[in-house]
Amino acid sequence: MTYVVTDQCTGCRYTECVTVCPVECFHLDDEMTYIDPENCIDCGGCVPACPVGAIQPAYLLPPEQQKWIEINRRRAAETPVITSRLAPLPGADQRKMALGR
Amino acid sequence: MSRTTVVGACPHDCPDTCSILTTLEDGKAIAVRGNPDHPFTRGRLCVKVNNYQDRVYSDQRILYPMRRSGPKGSGQFTRITWDEALAEIAATFKEIIARDGAQAILPYSYLGTQGIINGLNVGDPLFNKLGAAVSERTFCDSGSCTAYMMTIGHTPGVDPEAFVHSKYIILWACNTLSTNSHHWPFIEQAKKNGAKLVVIDPVRTRTARLADWHIPIRPGTDGALAMAMMHIIIKEGLTDRDYIDAHTVGFAELAERVEDYTPEFASAETGIPVEDIYQLAREYAATPPAVVRIGVAVERHAGGGQTVRAIACLPALIGAWKHVGGGLLQLPIWAFPVNWGGLMRPDLQPETMRVINSWQLGPALTGELALDPPIRSLFVYNANPMAMVSQQGKLEAGLAREDLFTVVSEHFMTDTARYADILLPATTQLEQKDIMFSWGHLYLSYNNPAIEPLGEAVPNTELFRRLARALGIDDPFFHRSDDEMIAQSMDWGSPVMEGIDLETLKEKGYLRLNMPATGEWAPHRDGNFPTPTGKCEFKSTLAATGNFVVPLFRQGYNGGQSGEPVDPLPHYIAPNESPASAPDLAGKYPLSLISPKSHAFLNSNYGNLPAQLAQAGEEQAVILHPSDADVRGIVAGTPIRIFNDRGVFEAFATVSQDVMPGVVVAPAGYWQRSNRRGPTVHALTPPAFADLGRAPTFSDVLVEVAPS
Repeated sequence: MTYVVTDQCTGCRYTECVTVCPVECFHLDDEMTYIDPENCIDCGGCVPACPVGAIQPAYLLPPEQQKWIEINRRRAAETPVITSRLAPLPGADQRKMALGR
Repeated sequence: MSRTTVVGACPHDCPDTCSILTTLEDGKAIAVRGNPDHPFTRGRLCVKVNNYQDRVYSDQRILYPMRRSGPKGSGQFTRITWDEALAEIAATFKEIIARDGAQAILPYSYLGTQGIINGLNVGDPLFNKLGAAVSERTFCDSGSCTAYMMTIGHTPGVDPEAFVHSKYIILWACNTLSTNSHHWPFIEQAKKNGAKLVVIDPVRTRTARLADWHIPIRPGTDGALAMAMMHIIIKEGLTDRDYIDAHTVGFAELAERVEDYTPEFASAETGIPVEDIYQLAREYAATPPAVVRIGVAVERHAGGGQTVRAIACLPALIGAWKHVGGGLLQLPIWAFPVNWGGLMRPDLQPETMRVINSWQLGPALTGELALDPPIRSLFVYNANPMAMVSQQGKLEAGLAREDLFTVVSEHFMTDTARYADILLPATTQLEQKDIMFSWGHLYLSYNNPAIEPLGEAVPNTELFRRLARALGIDDPFFHRSDDEMIAQSMDWGSPVMEGIDLETLKEKGYLRLNMPATGEWAPHRDGNFPTPTGKCEFKSTLAATGNFVVPLFRQGYNGGQSGEPVDPLPHYIAPNESPASAPDLAGKYPLSLISPKSHAFLNSNYGNLPAQLAQAGEEQAVILHPSDADVRGIVAGTPIRIFNDRGVFEAFATVSQDVMPGVVVAPAGYWQRSNRRGPTVHALTPPAFADLGRAPTFSDVLVEVAPS
């Protein structure tokens, strides 16, 4: 069990999460970030840091979101580590507003 | 809807003592988070505490006093009033005192909550005044503390934040990312600055995985490695002669002593290749500032005390203390000017008291210890011995005694609480106020209560006020308010308290002790060790008094110390139970068992709560090396039995290269509910004490494993 990034990140990818992670366990692709479950220490520091609330502890995921546990595991293994914040994706702020965050 | 934030501090027995912000909505705590402004907490908590509000509002909470209504251990209770509970306790205590004397009453506690007024010493004045048995609490770091006192004194050691300046960091028996995780960013920063990180651990832990160099070591053999490092450093002239001449005693004797501890000898003991031992010693000596952080586990074997003695000699030998970020880190708690005497009140004790060690609770209750008078009443708070104490089978038999009157103050129906005659409801940290030291950083903290106590739960301070009243104790000392206790808990006139006032502390939640700035402070650059000679004592003066437990862990009492002779020079003591030291035993039980802290539990705290069980796994898992699993026909994920002559427990097998061949890892803290047949790992751990400070020998156990 660990924390996972969900599809709420897709299209925003603010990467605020990487600024608080003490163990560099965030990876990324063009769409979103992923948490490496092997290195995540479950500190939860990234949860309030995410502007769109995309990160959740795995045990609290609703059934339809459970797939993100495996997606995070797989994509973290396939993608590079991100160690510092990047600019959000274009349209991220509008999406965040639309989400009412 | 009104939303407010309250600043508090984590209550747990963890070095990090985080600053916690609790969010309240209409008076209810809805979330907790790490204080982003606290230099050590940095906005993060951990898997234990992230959802602390769920612990507080758990439907498993004990919220009212209760009396046992079924057989001992059945967990059947009936609600009673506080007045009834107190009257029954007071009447029983008085009867016991009249018949057998107060020493037939045994308090039992540790750091289930670590606050200064509600924690380690909260019950000491009352039990000292009664003249009850002294509970010698050598749960954690007691062997290390005795060894430390004998070598470098009760120094705070290296400022944990100064690790950013270190160039060579050895985490020795310390899984930082699971048990000290807020220290990690300082280590990580040092790594970014070019430091090399070495982890010495039988297990490739989360921390070891992120190290530059993981050195697996056979359990209980760390002392051989430390002695061999000194052998190499002295032989090869890697010492700092100026520092040794000015600030140490006993170098010539130490040099002679380490002659025999060759790297070849240490390699045979530890399983570490000879060339790695050379490399470690040479790099450590040649890469200033070099720092060692020892974990609690380093003491948990037959020679645990002398292991810490040897490790504590290393920094002086190479002059590591001269540099900011160089030296040794164990317990910065010694930096805090706590008014320990005022908390424990040893002046109230009768001249002689009976001392009963925490690890001997089982034999003390069953009568195996042949106590006269026997223990008639056990008063448990801040502790769950059924989950954490060796000889679990004996403890269970002792707790089941019909003539034993057991009182337990708790949050939950723990494996111990089930055996209570009277069960009392205790508050969580959100419901109580306290002032907090830390044993992992240099910030004094204040815990503002966030909510009113739930049900009829009371803080430990109030529990002992009520008990004193019920016992007819009029002395106003026993009826001080929490605010008065806090005001008297510290030596506010101490130079390190300069600039710290209670009002600011309450408001901000934490203040750094008035120590020199992290970037400038090398605590023993000029010696000044708090030892009898003022120097680092390779040859210990205090060894002459024999083995002792620091009085802080024994209600302030210094009588009746065990006093076994102690060799004044560091040396290696092999494990009691290892294939090399006990070949006959190893013929039956060939595997070494260790029981480190579980990542998701704090000792046995959280072993009953859904979020942490989801992380840790609902059932106890035990990790074996593939070679040990294969030869026994053990398949990952299947049930196994782990056993020795003391007992047996069941678990699920995890098979992993992360453990050394010959080593079995059972993370501790699980309750009986998570072990398929009841007993947990401490059914197998031994009664033996380590050589110093009566530390446990939990990492010094041989077992066999078989499919269930």
